Amino acid sequence: MIKKPLGILLLVLVIVLSACSSGGNSTESPQKGNDSQESAQEGPKKGGQINIPIVGDPIFNPWHPNAYAESNLVNRIIFSGLTKPGEDLAPAPHLAETWEASEDGMIWTFHLRKDVKWHDGEQFTAEDVAFTFNEIVLDPDYGANGASNFKTVDHVEIVDEYTVNFHMKTPNAALPAYLGFNAEILPKHKLEGQDPWNLTSFNKEAPVGTGPFKIGKYISGQSVELVANPDFYAGEPYLDRVVFKIVPDANTQIAQALSGELDLFVVDDKAAIKRLENAKNLNVVANDTTKYFWISLNQENDLFTDVKVRQAFLHAIDRQAIIDTVLKGYGKIADAAITPNQSFYYTDQVTRYDYDPEKAKQLLAEAGWIDSDGDGILDKDGKKFSFLFEVAQQGDLEPVAQMVHQYLKSIGLDVQLKTLEWNTMIQKNVIQRDYEMILNWWTYPTDPDVFAQYYSGNAGKGNNIPGYKDEVLDELLLKGQQTSDPQERKEIYAEVQQYMSDTLPYLYLWYPQEISVSSTRLHGAPEMYMGGKLYYVNEFWVE
Amino acid sequence: MLHFILNRLWQSIILIFIVTIITFFLINLAPGGPSSLMRMDASEEERQALITRMGLDKPVIVRYGEWVKDALQGDLGVSLSSGQPVIQRVAERFPNTLRLASITLIFSVIVGIVLGIIAAIRRNKMSDYVVNFFSVIGLSVPSFWLAIMLILLFSVTLQWLPSSGVASENSALFEQFKYLFMPVIILSTSTLPTIVRFTRSSMLEVITQNYIRTARAKGAREFIVIYWHALRNALIPVVSIIGVLIPRLLGGAVIVESVFGWPGMGRLIVEAAQGRDYNLVMGVTVIVTVIVILSNFVVDMIYSKIDPRVKNVS
Repeated sequence: MIKKPLGILLLVLVIVLSACSSGGNSTESPQKGNDSQESAQEGPKKGGQINIPIVGDPIFNPWHPNAYAESNLVNRIIFSGLTKPGEDLAPAPHLAETWEASEDGMIWTFHLRKDVKWHDGEQFTAEDVAFTFNEIVLDPDYGANGASNFKTVDHVEIVDEYTVNFHMKTPNAALPAYLGFNAEILPKHKLEGQDPWNLTSFNKEAPVGTGPFKIGKYISGQSVELVANPDFYAGEPYLDRVVFKIVPDANTQIAQALSGELDLFVVDDKAAIKRLENAKNLNVVANDTTKYFWISLNQENDLFTDVKVRQAFLHAIDRQAIIDTVLKGYGKIADAAITPNQSFYYTDQVTRYDYDPEKAKQLLAEAGWIDSDGDGILDKDGKKFSFLFEVAQQGDLEPVAQMVHQYLKSIGLDVQLKTLEWNTMIQKNVIQRDYEMILNWWTYPTDPDVFAQYYSGNAGKGNNIPGYKDEVLDELLLKGQQTSDPQERKEIYAEVQQYMSDTLPYLYLWYPQEISVSSTRLHGAPEMYMGGKLYYVNEFWVE
Repeated sequence: MLHFILNRLWQSIILIFIVTIITFFLINLAPGGPSSLMRMDASEEERQALITRMGLDKPVIVRYGEWVKDALQGDLGVSLSSGQPVIQRVAERFPNTLRLASITLIFSVIVGIVLGIIAAIRRNKMSDYVVNFFSVIGLSVPSFWLAIMLILLFSVTLQWLPSSGVASENSALFEQFKYLFMPVIILSTSTLPTIVRFTRSSMLEVITQNYIRTARAKGAREFIVIYWHALRNALIPVVSIIGVLIPRLLGGAVIVESVFGWPGMGRLIVEAAQGRDYNLVMGVTVIVTVIVILSNFVVDMIYSKIDPRVKNVS
């Protein structure tokens, strides 16, 4: 009698779960390989939906100060920018068909498409472009997200219904690339006279864009369902729906991908890659991105102002070992700020710093740092080489920092490693510039213009995190920004890369590869980074 | 009784007030604010514009005063991250947590009492050991790990259950069950073992009482003795533990909702804290505090009703 209740419970459990199995959503994993290839050869099919995970609730306004990464992916599909990254990563036409700069580079003229309609049926015109920039992006009181990319823009002038002029404060050849980087156009007829950040009926409920998909159903904390826009200027998308599932936990995302519930996402957890690669229903691809990891040595601190010290640091760090172990090979040693995916501008003809601890010690000795008292720590004029190395708890930063910490200690530096929560790091290290050595990364629009992170005028407050000031570099970067001829720019940026690798404003660590996972049933996505693929979501189709 | 209720009400108001002070100052004085959540390449001007617009340039004490003044008028402010009223954001999520927590509680109470009885009447036998073993496992194993294991088993390998999300309101009961199964199992690991152990010890105490022996001597069937005479009295202390379990359920919901993508209050508080959404953190905290106080109050009232000794004391 006593055993019965336990037995009954187990029995009920088994029956119920079996029932789940028979009536459940058991999806047969498609065969990786032949089946998929055959379907691809048959050509695009209309219909179906794909699921993409995001980690939080999005804000349907690309310029909103709280529009973070999860919002960017969704907004890229609902809205459109004037340009978008082409499959070769150069700016390609989107809402603008063509563009050209005046001879002095002070005016950029964009010729807009005439066949674009907002999701509510209104006509898209130059008024919308001028409104987005003049009334929102360039208004300093709004503090629009990404407005700093348009610091060189003075105002936008409407030439005619489908032509706008961007009047510049200083020439900027990177403008077309910046206009394709989270710089989507907003509808004037919806936002005029409204507070663009507090208009929740638009930002959280019913956004109106010009993109290939429009808002269907949004359930906070669960999903955003976008439905195909039949009036999209490039034609109705093949897919009926794109569903962004809000899945905050990375392990759950991986489990969902394995069970066939997700179609496209980026995986950060390198330990999971093998399992994903072995899944029959998934393709795993590594792509180069416009991103590089660096160490910043605060140039306000005398310890780090000697270039020989910075060079010694790089010789002391075995970057290949970091890539092989922590990154499981998904990265390349970085030498300067221009990433290899910008193949036209990237050059590997730069000064290299191989792992060579002896050379590191020698360079430090040349800079006057020797262990004069035999305590194992280098010193100079009675001062020990002691400093604090701070790192945020985010992705691979912590394990990499631990390796770097050991490498630097091994050449006689007294380094203390401290980890910080991400927000604390931003507040202390980035906003207050209160640090000695930090490790982080930059990602930027796919254009070699890295002016913001290096210009002396941005030291101490802008994005020049190390506070590095160098007139030669400033001049080169300005020249690059003001030159619109690609061949000329290429030469300038080759010089920039060589100069950076010699002087090391930042200590360049590695160029990461983004590991994107897609289901084998998904076709039509271009071979580029995940965020870039989404610009072409209208060409996606599923079996 | 009226005196008891008024006394509890007064204590509750003071408690809510203390909770708001601690929470407000903790979250506002935590390093990094909404401006540090902007893109790393946001300029100083962009960050300052955000701080000014959100009124975060005022001293914390002034902001707390303003918050209390608004809250007393029923206005918990707007979410700093989305611009929506805090009440609206909570209202979107609260029903989901209520559903998850109440089903978990019902499941835990039913299964916990049954298992507790089995363990008690089969004391020091195999059934007792098995129940105790799984109770200890349930309490000890980290719920996020167990959750991932369940997902790998039921969603990835067997493909029986969806790995995350909630079923839509209009979906069939069976569909709802599929979405609820894993979150309820995991969330019940924070409540079920406690109920099992409490029921077991309570039952052990009761079944040695004279009136149970008398019932048996009168020839009552064992089933009647256990489930009618013994259980009724053994359940009295179990009721009191339910009040303690409600805050534990809400705490457990933070992890369960994150892993299973369950759009409830647990995830909302995590999102609010990570996003330094001060108003939302305050709103959710106040509402959760009120729920916990209310549930404890209700449990106390029930307890005093079913156990005359407590009534006499009060």
